[in-house]
Amino acid sequence: MDEAVKKYTTRKEFFKQYKKKSRLQETWNRFLRNKMAVIGLFIFIFIVLVAITAPIIANYDTEAIKINVPNRLKAPSTEHIFGTDEMGRDIMARIVHGARISLVVGFASVALALFIGGALGAIAGYYGGKIDDVIMRCMDVFLCLPDVLLALAIVAAFGTNLVNMTIAIGLSFTPKFSRVVRSAVMTVRGIEYVEAARAIGSTNTHIITNHVLINCFGPIVVQVTLYVASAILTISALSFIGLGIQAPIPEWGNMLASGRAYMRDHAYIVMAPGLAIFVTILSLNLLGDGLRDALDPRLK
Amino acid sequence: MESKKMNEQENTLEIRNLVIHYISDEEVVKAVNGVDIIIKAGKTLGLVGETGAGKTTTALSILNLVPEPQGKILSGEILLEGRSVLTMSELELEEIRGDKVAMIFQDPMTSLNPVHTVGAQIAESIEIHRKVSKEEALKQAKEMLELVGIPGERSNEYPYQFSGGMKQRVVIAIALTCSPDLLIADEPTTALDVTIQAQVLKLINELRRKYHMSMLMITHDLGIVAEVCDEVSIAYAGRIVEHGTLEDIFDNLRHPYTKGLFDALPDIEIRRSELKPIKGLMPDPTNLPSGCPFHPRCDYVMEVCSQSLPENKWLSETHCVQCHLYKDTNESRL
Amino acid sequence: MSNILLEVKDLKKYYKVPKGMLHAVDGVSFDLEKGKTLGIVGESGCGKTTIGRTILRLVEPTSGSVIFDGVDIPKLNTQEMRHMRQNMQLIFQDPFSSLNPRKTITQTIEEPIILANMIPDPDKRFMRVMELMDTVGLAERLVNTYPHELDGGRRQRIGIARALAMNPKFIICDEPVSALDVSIQAQILNLMKKIQREMGLTYIFITHNLSVVNHFSDDIAVMYLGRLIEKAPSEILFTNPAHPYTQALLSAIPVPRIHNRPERLLLRGEITSPINPEPICRFANRCNCAVPICSKEEPGLIEIEPNHFVACHLVGRA
Repeated sequence: MDEAVKKYTTRKEFFKQYKKKSRLQETWNRFLRNKMAVIGLFIFIFIVLVAITAPIIANYDTEAIKINVPNRLKAPSTEHIFGTDEMGRDIMARIVHGARISLVVGFASVALALFIGGALGAIAGYYGGKIDDVIMRCMDVFLCLPDVLLALAIVAAFGTNLVNMTIAIGLSFTPKFSRVVRSAVMTVRGIEYVEAARAIGSTNTHIITNHVLINCFGPIVVQVTLYVASAILTISALSFIGLGIQAPIPEWGNMLASGRAYMRDHAYIVMAPGLAIFVTILSLNLLGDGLRDALDPRLK
Repeated sequence: MESKKMNEQENTLEIRNLVIHYISDEEVVKAVNGVDIIIKAGKTLGLVGETGAGKTTTALSILNLVPEPQGKILSGEILLEGRSVLTMSELELEEIRGDKVAMIFQDPMTSLNPVHTVGAQIAESIEIHRKVSKEEALKQAKEMLELVGIPGERSNEYPYQFSGGMKQRVVIAIALTCSPDLLIADEPTTALDVTIQAQVLKLINELRRKYHMSMLMITHDLGIVAEVCDEVSIAYAGRIVEHGTLEDIFDNLRHPYTKGLFDALPDIEIRRSELKPIKGLMPDPTNLPSGCPFHPRCDYVMEVCSQSLPENKWLSETHCVQCHLYKDTNESRL
Repeated sequence: MSNILLEVKDLKKYYKVPKGMLHAVDGVSFDLEKGKTLGIVGESGCGKTTIGRTILRLVEPTSGSVIFDGVDIPKLNTQEMRHMRQNMQLIFQDPFSSLNPRKTITQTIEEPIILANMIPDPDKRFMRVMELMDTVGLAERLVNTYPHELDGGRRQRIGIARALAMNPKFIICDEPVSALDVSIQAQILNLMKKIQREMGLTYIFITHNLSVVNHFSDDIAVMYLGRLIEKAPSEILFTNPAHPYTQALLSAIPVPRIHNRPERLLLRGEITSPINPEPICRFANRCNCAVPICSKEEPGLIEIEPNHFVACHLVGRA
């Protein structure tokens, strides 16, 4: 061992010599083998890119918002790929900008739910007993309400803007996340290395952050993708009934709502937003399933 | 449940040159690499080995239960009382499973279905193979429970109401309902306490004599082998490296791995200051060493050992060994 | 006697269950000298695992005292207890589940050192990790490997290195080799003995495997249903077991010999329930030598010869 000491005096040098075998790499390889999951990933990346580059693809003010009555209800053509809506606006432009809203609210609301619900679930799962009971019963109260209703109540009371919608949907997902994180934590808490950590003198906080949570990532990541899909659907549903994003801001749900009246003769007006919602949800679900399979510890 | 008369000449089980690999995208696990096993009528063979020796895979293959699609039987023959198992149809296999051949697994906790009474689980086997009414089957089930030392009234209880040792007795009862010709026991007492193990082994011994059953006892414990078996096969990395009667193996062992196994055992009679372990590690079945799979750990290794696989050499009518040390001699080289 | 490192007095651990009180550990007392190994043996349900956890306060004792190096452990507060843990460590049975799968060997071994803030300098700390790896026989190239890449024997060595990291005086080994292959068991046991000699450690060795415990321990304590029923130096326990349960336990070990096989003493019946046990000899229902008093009174622990303690009505009465 003395030669080792002479060869590498610092930990860094030693680590450079003997590299870590990345578990991420193995999981990624497993994921890549699942064709449907890869398709889902590609579609989703595509949607994200579209959303990011929305202003480049179509100018927000001139194309997505500006009312242009002579142009109304034009069928799909080379000039307007998805046609124009009842106000003469280019549907594709509205879809592309609508993507931004869906994705941003979708991810932000789930992030909020993960943060609050996750913290509550981790505490409930780790400490158990009365703390667990109190937290979970509170969560149960919220779980009784259907997502849409809860979001509805908040939005109706505080007004329909993006921030409120994000908070509303986020809060409605919080109890769900708390359950997922709680059960993941409870599973890990019973495993011996947690007891070993206590035996070497860890504090509870250290154990939760260092040992428990890092081993819970699998189920949580999968739930995140699936809940984002659900969140997007909820936003669209709310907008559809008029309690979400208001006109003239383009959002897939309110596009469906306003286009409904013209559906019979101008089917394209609802097909585009409908398809957008469908494809986004589908890609997220495929992605989520693929992640679940790739992270499955059975293959270790 | 009459005891069957056996044709003394017939071998209950014959396995010849069995090769089974688990093939997945990432790697090939060479579980069984040319195994020969013969179990004579009414005799018990102990299959001894540690992790990765291929014992469980071999046992599962007897009933064609090797998990698919990864598990592939690449070559070999398995003859059950002269009939080839690998060419049987699923229907034929279902007929023999539980009837001619019964299997007991290691963990009694998971072998029993928690939502059925133990009586019902024993009766299930009777109903399938004996074609009697449900009432008759339950009646026979009660008798089986008595046979394994559990009061018949308990046949209406559920598995959770029994201790580990009793659950294993129930499992044995299920296995024996149809007086199988061959009982395969895969580490049946490993999960049990040592005093319960003693009881269960005694029971297994009594029953196999009563029913004149042949048995394949898979274990890593040489003490159990001495108690229950007539012949022994020592398995390592999917091969049988030594085989013989109890005397051959316990008094006249030849293979260095067999010697290593015996030396590594702490003896309750002699307290040594240091145990004598086998150096090195179990071989990786996805990356077996060249030549003889034991050579990296062998104290008697020679150059030829890493180059070629040793042939099976018969030292006597009952005793054979696969080791280059015995190429030219039958005398012990250890 | 300043030579006694650990004094356990009437240690009890009860669990409240729907049917009543489960007496997992029911009034166990013993002394352990510095540098020695005490083997605790028994079958499932005897309380040997619980007593290990209770001594280390990973499970809070219901009552009784555990005096370690003069300090009464159950009386310490959280802060003091955390500090005391540096002296008393645990090696676990399952080499896989006792290691965090997301931490490399280095991270696992250095964690106790970091927590106790023993070596703040990362490079010096790393040198200590290398030293520990060398002590337990782990090659240096394994520094950045994860547990799932290694076999049971190597993983158990990591567990041992982790236990040694804070330089403890005392280690409880909870079935440290039961999950390993026979040929590897011997390697690990030899290693543990070597470390004990070199570092002057005191061990409690908990196991159900009697042949292993004889090889490894100076004294052996036999537990049954939460009580200590016999304690003696190893040679005496094996040559002259006094309690009927010990005799049955020893005779139940399958002997790897075909000649001169010992007579088997088989027990009847099943172990009684640890819930609300009656104050009688708990082994009476299975004992082949039981007499009427056994079902009426609980036998106390008597010293029948120097250092040989037995709890049995039939023994020690002149």
